[in-house]
Amino acid sequence: MPEQRAPASAAEPPPDVSGLEGPVEQLTEVRELLFGAERRQIEELRRRLDTVELSPEELAEQLPRAVAMRSARDRDLAVALAPTIERALGESVRRNPRELATAIFPVLGPAIRTAIAEAMAGLVQAINRSVEHSVSPRGLRWRIEGWRTGVPFAQVVIKHTLVYRVEQVFLVHAETGLLLAHVPEQRGDDANLVTGMLTAIRDFVSDSFQSKDTGELRTFSVGDVCVLAEPGPQGYVAAVVRGQYSPALVTKLQETLETIHVRWHDALGTFDGDTAPFEGTRPLLDDCLETVLADDARTGRRGIARFAWVLPVALLLLAIGLPVLRANQRWRRAVAAVDAEPGIVLVHSERNWGRWSFSGLRDPLARDPAAVLAGLGVDTTTVDGRWEPFTSTEPPLVLARAGRVLAPPPTVALRLARDTLVAEGVASEPWIARAASIGPALPGVSFVALGGVSPDLPAELAALRRDAEARRVLFALGSATLDSAARAVIATFAATYERLRREAGARGFDVALSLAGRTDASGGEATNLDLSRRRVDAVRDALLTLGVRTIAGAEALSSSKPLPASGAADRARVNRSVSFSIEARLTPRGR
Amino acid sequence: MIQKKVCMVGVQGTGKTSMVKRFVHSLFSEKYHSTVGVKIDRKVVPVDGAEVTLLLWDIEGRSEESEVPTSYTRGAHAVLYVADGTRRTTFEQLSSLRELVRSTVGDVPSLVALNKADLAEEWALTPSDEASLAGAGVHHVRTSAKSGAGVEDAFHWLAKEVLRAGAARS
Repeated sequence: MPEQRAPASAAEPPPDVSGLEGPVEQLTEVRELLFGAERRQIEELRRRLDTVELSPEELAEQLPRAVAMRSARDRDLAVALAPTIERALGESVRRNPRELATAIFPVLGPAIRTAIAEAMAGLVQAINRSVEHSVSPRGLRWRIEGWRTGVPFAQVVIKHTLVYRVEQVFLVHAETGLLLAHVPEQRGDDANLVTGMLTAIRDFVSDSFQSKDTGELRTFSVGDVCVLAEPGPQGYVAAVVRGQYSPALVTKLQETLETIHVRWHDALGTFDGDTAPFEGTRPLLDDCLETVLADDARTGRRGIARFAWVLPVALLLLAIGLPVLRANQRWRRAVAAVDAEPGIVLVHSERNWGRWSFSGLRDPLARDPAAVLAGLGVDTTTVDGRWEPFTSTEPPLVLARAGRVLAPPPTVALRLARDTLVAEGVASEPWIARAASIGPALPGVSFVALGGVSPDLPAELAALRRDAEARRVLFALGSATLDSAARAVIATFAATYERLRREAGARGFDVALSLAGRTDASGGEATNLDLSRRRVDAVRDALLTLGVRTIAGAEALSSSKPLPASGAADRARVNRSVSFSIEARLTPRGR
Repeated sequence: MIQKKVCMVGVQGTGKTSMVKRFVHSLFSEKYHSTVGVKIDRKVVPVDGAEVTLLLWDIEGRSEESEVPTSYTRGAHAVLYVADGTRRTTFEQLSSLRELVRSTVGDVPSLVALNKADLAEEWALTPSDEASLAGAGVHHVRTSAKSGAGVEDAFHWLAKEVLRAGAARS
């Protein structure tokens, strides 16, 4: 309707309203107040209709949202943009390659490093294998085999070095026998048929052999292919293995099955034919796909083998080291023993190619160093000794020298107290006089103490005492009665003793008599004690009767402290007796 | 992928194996029947734009006693019973066979295929027989292994029923 639009059009001249200026202005103002906003919106819409293209501002506003929406829907946008982006990248590189290189540098560095590392690792492994298999006798044998059979060398190597390879792993629902998941994926075309039949066969074996109580079919093999089935309550894992698998693989399958039972417990329990929830088990099953080569399997043994030399070397070291150690110990012990020996001063000792040599000072009275070494088990034929004589003042040597020079009787004991030579016991008067004169002249002796030495009876009286003491008063078995022989012995003894007492008294000695009554070993202790008492009393009484007054003691010994004799019968006879002991002491006036 | 276990049950000579032979993907030979007692085939059936994979456990038919190994039927989502329409005894044995299988798998979708429908002259079943099935609420379909008639229909019906039953359970 142009008639209606005409007043609004700016192109047409406005009507002549000069005479109505006031009312027109007011009308325009009212119109602006009432319809101003709408009029502006209409103007804007009209402008948009006239220019269908979006303004850059509007495009900038809408573009990100539009790209995101279209990318979510399909790949058309990516396809459409690809040539442009390729060209743009090409142009960018042509203009300023540095810009792009800088931008992708953080990504490029690690990627290149990873690629190089993988390539190098593969190369090193390939070189190792090639060297090992090519130059070794085994490698040559395999080359001949390859040439003979027409099989490529690489395949021959794989055949010989393969220990086992897990080729397929199935996860199967226990109750239905339906396949839940299978790796590798590309071989799963008939996998559900295989697992169905596998389940049927397992059931068939269980039914046929009543093995429900004892277990299930867990493994079967055809040629070098083996199927391992690890059962679980809700599902089982079956692995197709080529070669000789290790027990570790069985453990791994069990652990995988356990993990699946834990993580997919609900899905297994409610399984109704939809395998989608079990897609997530694939990484776990993929982990079970492993190839173990002989070289890998040997790695562990190699680890141990690397230390196999330790034992022989240790034994060798032990074989060499142990005798050396022992020789060293023996040497140290020998040196210490020689050095510690009284009367020996070790100045020098050395070992030279199995010969030992010692040198130093040695007192002639000291032990022979060779004897000292022989006492330690040393072979003295390999020992050389060079010893200069000297006089040692060590106590053992001083004492030995005193014994050698003074030659004391057996009844005298010598000892050293610091620099004093002490003699104790009973000795003849001439020995006492000699010891007093030459004792102090001995090296290491300053004084001689002879107070402890009692002078002995003169020789003829000592003989008389020995004669008297040799007599025994013998008794019959169990008897304390003095028979005629006994009385004769007592009488003879009393005469001898009285003579000794008189003559010793004339020389200044007092003598005293002691009696000891004994029994043989037969009979009880109480009986024997009583018997020996009665015997010694009988002899004492008889001696008193004969006038012997100086009886210092009468001891009942029963069968203790028996007198020596050869033969049991003689010993019994000799001990059914009373014996005599006479002590002589120089009287104060005799001194 | 949706998979369902379907057991095919029927006495010997009803043509179970022949019936599915042309319609399924087989990997195993017939000798599995005589050795393991079961052969498993696969049938992929399109249902409402999706695909259901039926794993068909073709269980060996026994001639004398109506016996089906329970370990093979365990966990079945559906059962396809097959009877020979030309042998009345195979039809009569169905009820005891159905009872036996139901005791193991419970009430799952099932279908009775009356096979050898192409032998019209030798057909031994009366209309009342089929009516008795329908009366008992048992879906049945006439099939012919020779011509293929009814076989695809049987699988489709089973697949749909199984999905429906699964949806009802969930």
